[in-house]
Amino acid sequence: MRIDLSMPWLGGFAGVDNYAKMGGDPRFWHSLWLTLIYTASTVVLQVVLGLSLALLVLRIPRGQAAMRIAAILPIVLAPVVVGLFWRTLVLSPDVGLVDVVTRALGLGSHNWLGDPQLALISVIAIHTWQWTPFAFLVILASLSALSPEVFEAARIDRASAWQRFRYITLPLIRPAIVIVVIMRTMIALSAFAAIFAATGGGPGTSTEILNLYAYRTSFSELNLGYGAALAVVLLAITLAVSFVMFRVRRRAAVA
Amino acid sequence: MTARRLRTLVLIGLAALLLAVWAFPVLWALLTSFKTERDVLAYPPTVIFEPTLRNYRDVLFGSASILPNLVSSTIVAGASTLLTLVFAIPAAYALARLDLPAKRASGFYVLATQMLPPVGLIIPYYLVLQKIGGLDTYGGLIAIYLTFSLPFAIWLMVSYFEDIPREMEEAALLDRAGRLRALWYVILPQVRGGIAVTTIFVFLNAWNEFLFAVVLGGNRVRPVTVAMFNFISVEQTLWAKLAAGAMLAMAPVIVLGLLAQRHIVKGLTVGAVKGGGRT
Repeated sequence: MRIDLSMPWLGGFAGVDNYAKMGGDPRFWHSLWLTLIYTASTVVLQVVLGLSLALLVLRIPRGQAAMRIAAILPIVLAPVVVGLFWRTLVLSPDVGLVDVVTRALGLGSHNWLGDPQLALISVIAIHTWQWTPFAFLVILASLSALSPEVFEAARIDRASAWQRFRYITLPLIRPAIVIVVIMRTMIALSAFAAIFAATGGGPGTSTEILNLYAYRTSFSELNLGYGAALAVVLLAITLAVSFVMFRVRRRAAVA
Repeated sequence: MTARRLRTLVLIGLAALLLAVWAFPVLWALLTSFKTERDVLAYPPTVIFEPTLRNYRDVLFGSASILPNLVSSTIVAGASTLLTLVFAIPAAYALARLDLPAKRASGFYVLATQMLPPVGLIIPYYLVLQKIGGLDTYGGLIAIYLTFSLPFAIWLMVSYFEDIPREMEEAALLDRAGRLRALWYVILPQVRGGIAVTTIFVFLNAWNEFLFAVVLGGNRVRPVTVAMFNFISVEQTLWAKLAAGAMLAMAPVIVLGLLAQRHIVKGLTVGAVKGGGRT
């Protein structure tokens, strides 16, 4: 049911109407699905890229300090400014940096944020660009703290590079990776400003994750009741996910 | 030996490429902010052009001025940072030192408030502020900012207080200084660094905030994150002005980020590191 913004108490009590409506609302299921894709892919990308980068940077003889400083740059920027940046200077057709590169390579011009097929990939790329440095810095700090003797011993035992990584490095930095996964999952679930600035949830509903759907319902379509119900579902999902993750983490810490 | 040198070169090349990927959009915006709107649209993009300061002049003093918005952001972020410190320091000290009954529970509560998606909180905030006439006021927005900056600051400060040996204040307490005087004269000077880092992070988060600002602000209270949309509309994009405005909006946080660079990891993982259960 709808609530008048200026007099929200006039509508009466809706009971569970708003929640019942959600079950039959394809836009809700679509946004839930997008939330899942967005969260899972950004977290996986950040961890994989951040870990690879950290391993790479550890092996270069100099320039580590420069990498650390460059990594701070995206982190401190306001997500909304990052979203606007990408929308205009990086991803806009013809003028944007990415288009300049793809045109130079003969791959043609693309409407990265206007094409429903590409828009979701684009907003995932934006999030990954801004927050991979977080994973990188946390994992790098953890890697730097490892003692070199462990690896010396393994090298004497002729363990291959992959074996050293799989059986020594990875278990030792697992706590750092777990922290990154937990924090980034929570933050991906509450992502809003960058997508709002880049696509506003569009084109159509192709980047409308649950956050955007709740916002649009509440403040564009002025249906505060249903918007609040969507937001409550999002809160419940976030709490459930964080509960499960901290459980897993505690078990991992004990084992 | 040469194979090894080659590998090092490849690694450095890869690292440099990634460095470029991170730094380039920002450098590109910096470059764009000195172009005329016509130079921006040139293809292939020009790297050599006649730099102009007109965008900055327009964005600061012209018809599209974001100066009032920079002032708005400074007031909101500055006041909420100040208030946060005033409340967070004693609260964190209490959590770190006193034997409080619900320590664990309050620790988890503080952590949970960090995790909740702001979209889930915005409607109740909106309705409450509307009822008390707090929409589009500095007081209203600052109060809402405290809801996310206080828990964050408390968590961060607790970790700094816990690093200080208890003996220090025990000596002060034996000399019959009260808790508050011990905190003020003995403990606070020890956590000066921690307070500086906390200040930077709290200010940064407040300065960058967008959702609360756009929904709970308005024409009077309009932080710079919201004002960025002035330069962009369905009909046209003011590329160079957007770039200049963004550079101005980002300058303070970039400076603060560089100042706090050694502490970034700690600031970002606060709470998660200790996992809610205090030991």
